[in-house]
Amino acid sequence: MLTIELNKVRKCYDQFVAVNDLSFGIEQGSVFGLLGPNGAGKTSTIRMMIGITAPDSGQINIFGKPFERKALHKIGYLPEERGLYKKMKIIDQLIFLGELHGLSNSVARQKALEWTKRLEIDAWIEKKVEELSKGMQQKIQFIASLLHDPDFIIMDEPFFGLDPVNATLLKDVMLDLKKQGKTILFSTHRMDQVEKLCDSICLINRGTAVLQGDLKTIKGQYGKNNVQIEYEGNGDFLDKNPLVSTYNNYGNYVEVRLAPGADAQQLLHMVAGRSRVNKFELMEPSLEEIFINTVGKTNA
Amino acid sequence: MRNIFIIAKREYLERVRSRSFIIMTVFIPALMFGVTVLPTLLLNKGGNETKSMVVVAADRDTAESIRSQIEQQQDQSSTKPENESGKKRDLPQTHFSVEVSTKATPEDRAALTKKVNDKQLDGFLWATPDAITAHKLDFVTRDTSSFIENGVLGQIVTDALRRQSLKSRGLAENDIEAALQPVEVDPVSPLGKNAPNPQAMFIATLGIVMVMYMTVLLYGINVMRSILEEKTSRIMEVMLSTATSKEMMAGKILGVGAVGLTQVGIWAATAAALAGYAVATSGMIKQIKAAMNPTLLIYFIVFFLLGYVLYSTLCAAVGSMVNSEQEAQQMQFLVMMPMILAIVFITNIFTHPNSSIAVFGSLFPFTAPLVMFSRIAMQPDTPVWQIGLSIALMVATIYGMVWLCGRIYRVGILMYGKKPTLPEIVKWIKYA
Repeated sequence: MLTIELNKVRKCYDQFVAVNDLSFGIEQGSVFGLLGPNGAGKTSTIRMMIGITAPDSGQINIFGKPFERKALHKIGYLPEERGLYKKMKIIDQLIFLGELHGLSNSVARQKALEWTKRLEIDAWIEKKVEELSKGMQQKIQFIASLLHDPDFIIMDEPFFGLDPVNATLLKDVMLDLKKQGKTILFSTHRMDQVEKLCDSICLINRGTAVLQGDLKTIKGQYGKNNVQIEYEGNGDFLDKNPLVSTYNNYGNYVEVRLAPGADAQQLLHMVAGRSRVNKFELMEPSLEEIFINTVGKTNA
Repeated sequence: MRNIFIIAKREYLERVRSRSFIIMTVFIPALMFGVTVLPTLLLNKGGNETKSMVVVAADRDTAESIRSQIEQQQDQSSTKPENESGKKRDLPQTHFSVEVSTKATPEDRAALTKKVNDKQLDGFLWATPDAITAHKLDFVTRDTSSFIENGVLGQIVTDALRRQSLKSRGLAENDIEAALQPVEVDPVSPLGKNAPNPQAMFIATLGIVMVMYMTVLLYGINVMRSILEEKTSRIMEVMLSTATSKEMMAGKILGVGAVGLTQVGIWAATAAALAGYAVATSGMIKQIKAAMNPTLLIYFIVFFLLGYVLYSTLCAAVGSMVNSEQEAQQMQFLVMMPMILAIVFITNIFTHPNSSIAVFGSLFPFTAPLVMFSRIAMQPDTPVWQIGLSIALMVATIYGMVWLCGRIYRVGILMYGKKPTLPEIVKWIKYA
């Protein structure tokens, strides 16, 4: 079953087409990545999904039915532009946002206590927001979007500004929610951060979908034509090499994209002859690479 | 509906608990106490000093006449402190110990002036025939600031000189007394003796209109500020994921409005309590109290609420458009302009409640709350159709403004960066 389905959704602001006939669906219990550079139309798309704005044309089905506001009580949304009432106590703030999502005051309080305990921030709930560090505020924001136990969770740039510890914490919670059968949508331009989490993706650029589908299938299409080499010694084997299409050299570590039809074994022999090889691995291309490739092509 | 209530509840509780609300609520009654009760208390205290003065006239008769008049006046006011007819003489007076003198040469005047300068004497009245003919006497004193005293003295001397003049023409004491008996003119409302007199009505209405003006202004601006704060803290989008912009705007206006009513309620209760105390000391406040009938109170609530909703809706739209306090301040002056204009003309409307400017102002929705209320208060027989039309026009305008401002608000809260231009705002209104 599809948690959400967009069918030829279009949104224009004056002459500017923010979202251009976008169609995709997200399977229940999966993690979906809505990817694209800044200004690609990700936030515009999300705003239409949750009824902040209405599409000019096209259709949005949510939980199998055309969009209705009642569905919002089952959606958790962490916007890119985050904010809390600065002078309000954490616990009051969470209860307020919980109530807006349809919870009763007492249930909201109980859930807020549970979540703050889980994210190890329960000692701060009587403090005002302005007394908290940025990282703690992020956690509160995160809790606010999950308080009402939503079936569909939308996170716009979830890892933005998070330190590694909190990012890991967030990731673990998300994986746990996925296990419970929740549907999760990540929207980001930092593809490396969500690559390992996503089941399927939709890459958008200038409001148009340029690549979408199951992540494994997409990567499979690109084939294992990437090589990671860790070496000691001379790196000049990369220059004017007919086997190499492009490369990214980090000194004693290099990512190589093979030329069409080139054999990786040939490259291994060549490198081994000149330098000491510590690691040689055939890899799928990273999402970022696929993205740059695809977007580069469409922009050209 | 539930969302509106939740948002209004948050707004109300957060505001009522805030320090600034508590300070404002206590400070204003303290100020009221300061200007109403305190001066009465102070005046009662300061009245017990005695000043020595000399009355100088060419003949003993005139001088004695003035002296006896001053002394008589003092006796009257000290035996009848709650004097109903002589309102001005209610005030506790300075007591004079009066001497008379008939030495009226310039040298004598110089000597007396020196005495006043040396503080041996508090003052002398120079009532020479020349001065009396010119109807202009000098009262030489170091203390030129006691205007009330000087005013009272003027009346007393006038009285004395008239008596003297009539006496010299051979009138009997009784006839003089009868001729000089002051006549009082009491303003009486056409509704009868029991209705409050127009003077008290004027002061009472002015007070109420000022409270309405200030509260609408204050809480309208509060709505603007708090929307701006939500915008800059970026909480808008979190809330928009579950509440509509209409619900957010309505909740905000209701919440802040409830805070305003709470505050005015507290002030009104304090004022009533203070008035209860002050009634004992001043007849005027008694009159003002009488002016406050229940019908007027209902009109106050109706016009206050309509005015508040209209202006706070406008303020909500402005709050959603701007990005900083400075921008907000520039805009709020424009928005509040009609109210400020109404206040400028308000005393004119009090005195001419049927002038064309008053009728226009009471029908024009943006000035109607202040002007219509003033007209109703000052002139109880204001045509009912005009009152009805005024309310109907305001309700219609509010309806239109809620629609218009709701559309601006919906787009504005998600727009950051530069201040929108007028064509851009028009575009926002047109968005689906």
